[in-house]
Amino acid sequence: MPEDIKLKEKYQELQESFEDLQLYFEQFTTFLPIAVCSITPIGVIISINKFFQELTDYNEMEIVGRPVETLFLEKEQGKMLTREVIDGEVVEKELNLINKKGEKIPVTVSASLRKDKEENILGYFLAIIEIVRFKKFQEELEKRLKEKTKELEDRTKALENSRGGLLNILEDMEESKNKEEEEKNKTLAIITNFADGLLVFDEHSKLSLINSQAENFFNVTAKETCERSIPELIKFPNLSLLINLLIDVSQKEENKEDKKNDQSKFEIREIFRRELLIKDDLVLEVSSIPLLKDDKKTGALVVIHDITREKMIEVMKTEFVSLAAHQLRTPLSAIKWTLKILLDGDLGELNSEQRDFIEKTYKSNERMIDLINSLLDVARIEEGRYLYKPVLTEIEPIIQFVVNSYKDEVANKKINFEYLKPKEKMPKVLVDVEKIRLVIQNFIENAINYTPAGGQVTISLKHDKKEIELIIKDSGVGIPKDQQARVFTKFFRAANVMRLETTGTGLGLFISKNIVEAHQGRIWFESEEKKGTTFHFALPIKTEFDEFITGF
Amino acid sequence: MAKKILLIEDEEILLNLLDKKLQEAGYDVTVARDGQEGLETMKSSRPDLILLDIVMPKMGGFEVMEEMNKDEQLKKIPVVIVSNSGQPVEIDRAKALGAKDWLIKTEFDPQEVIEKVIKQIGK
Repeated sequence: MPEDIKLKEKYQELQESFEDLQLYFEQFTTFLPIAVCSITPIGVIISINKFFQELTDYNEMEIVGRPVETLFLEKEQGKMLTREVIDGEVVEKELNLINKKGEKIPVTVSASLRKDKEENILGYFLAIIEIVRFKKFQEELEKRLKEKTKELEDRTKALENSRGGLLNILEDMEESKNKEEEEKNKTLAIITNFADGLLVFDEHSKLSLINSQAENFFNVTAKETCERSIPELIKFPNLSLLINLLIDVSQKEENKEDKKNDQSKFEIREIFRRELLIKDDLVLEVSSIPLLKDDKKTGALVVIHDITREKMIEVMKTEFVSLAAHQLRTPLSAIKWTLKILLDGDLGELNSEQRDFIEKTYKSNERMIDLINSLLDVARIEEGRYLYKPVLTEIEPIIQFVVNSYKDEVANKKINFEYLKPKEKMPKVLVDVEKIRLVIQNFIENAINYTPAGGQVTISLKHDKKEIELIIKDSGVGIPKDQQARVFTKFFRAANVMRLETTGTGLGLFISKNIVEAHQGRIWFESEEKKGTTFHFALPIKTEFDEFITGF
Repeated sequence: MAKKILLIEDEEILLNLLDKKLQEAGYDVTVARDGQEGLETMKSSRPDLILLDIVMPKMGGFEVMEEMNKDEQLKKIPVVIVSNSGQPVEIDRAKALGAKDWLIKTEFDPQEVIEKVIKQIGK
């Protein structure tokens, strides 16, 4: 084989292995986060890695082939570096790198000799470590490590906490369960020992609870009635009275036709304070309230209150009022009638002095009668059954009647008394005529009594869609500001009026207010001392179809 | 012949006053001082009108009317109540028992009672 071919082959071989090596070196150094360059034995840079470029800002074209001392501020030391390395010394120095921009960067350099297999020196590798960045890197690393540790610690702690939390929750749950149990027991105890009878129906109108009071009222036991449906419950004679009250009758009829009907069709209706007579000595008051959960009916609570005693007292009170009226009024009517007969001359003519005395006595007696009547009215108001006979009527004739009865009196007192009749027809109101007449009478009487001669009293009437309003305006003495708040209280009499006239019961406006309010009406006034007072009362307009509210 | 009126009233003064007034007005008046006496008197005297008090000894006005209602003849006699009380409950009860009118003593005087009587049975 000719020499040159051999040589060529060898050269090719070497070339290939050199390329391999270069590649290896490149790959290896690229990976390193340290700037590394390869330098010939005479100190010329022949190759750099990527990090070197970043650190120095030089690219390969710019730096390869230049002497190593180009990189450093300390040129002499840079030159020495190569010699020292080739001499086999371990070199590690702190130098100042000058990058392409001319900036000075403190670095540490370390070199390691590069040899081939035959120990021929090929040059050396130089690693340049930027101290600051390295420190930073180190610090960063440490910081990162610390953070990670901290994070880990935190996580551990959180885990521990949450474990504790979980235990706490469990404990709380246990506690609230106990509390609930306790609450349930308490509620049950309350229900069982409640003075009122209580029944609870579930959503299918099955009886789910009955307390002992209710058991007594209806003479049944919880055992025989609980979990029973309406048709089953109705078989207990006393309970059937209650069920009939709770269930709409039409519903019952409907369901009778088809006995296999779903029992839940029996809907327990809402009722409020309905009286239920079980027997003569047992009167109950029944209220039923729907039990709601998220607006859905989940059953009904029935509360039963024993009102036997109240009923008895009511009867006794009526009897008492009647008796008191009789006892107090009998002598008064005897006096009234006797004086009247005397005044009428039935027992002979009276001289003027006699007539004068008897007239005054007659008037005092009349006032006494008024007081007794007012007191009886108050007693009845406090009993809560003062209004009795509501009728749908026009108010205009009632006013006219009262106005007419005061004609003489206003003429005598020289008061300008005016009733401004409404031009249009007024809508009807639902009233107890006697009582409303009394209210109007009270107002007119007050207006006349507390308006001096020559004064003005005007009565007028108006209405809107909802109510009729009666207005009685006088130019009288007025009510002192500081006393206005007490006008409608029992036995109230204004100080200025007391000086003017000592009579008057102080009950008229109290009674009037009660009457008006029992009609679902409103009563109010405006007043200024020495200028006059205007009283108003308004009654709701009713139609034939309006149901009358209880309390009458 | 004068119309006959039976006056049943336990209060002496009122009884005398009304008796006097009614006689002056030309009526034939019989008096009774309690319900029981009144009931017996009306059976024999057959009055044209009865003026009846409510609260009285032995028998009250309501019981008198209840008894009257049991008798076909007595039932026809018009009754006007003259009472001290005047609770709506009572007035309604009296009307249900057939009373023609209800006068509260403190609100009327003897002359007005006479007018009510005239309204019922004439002079």
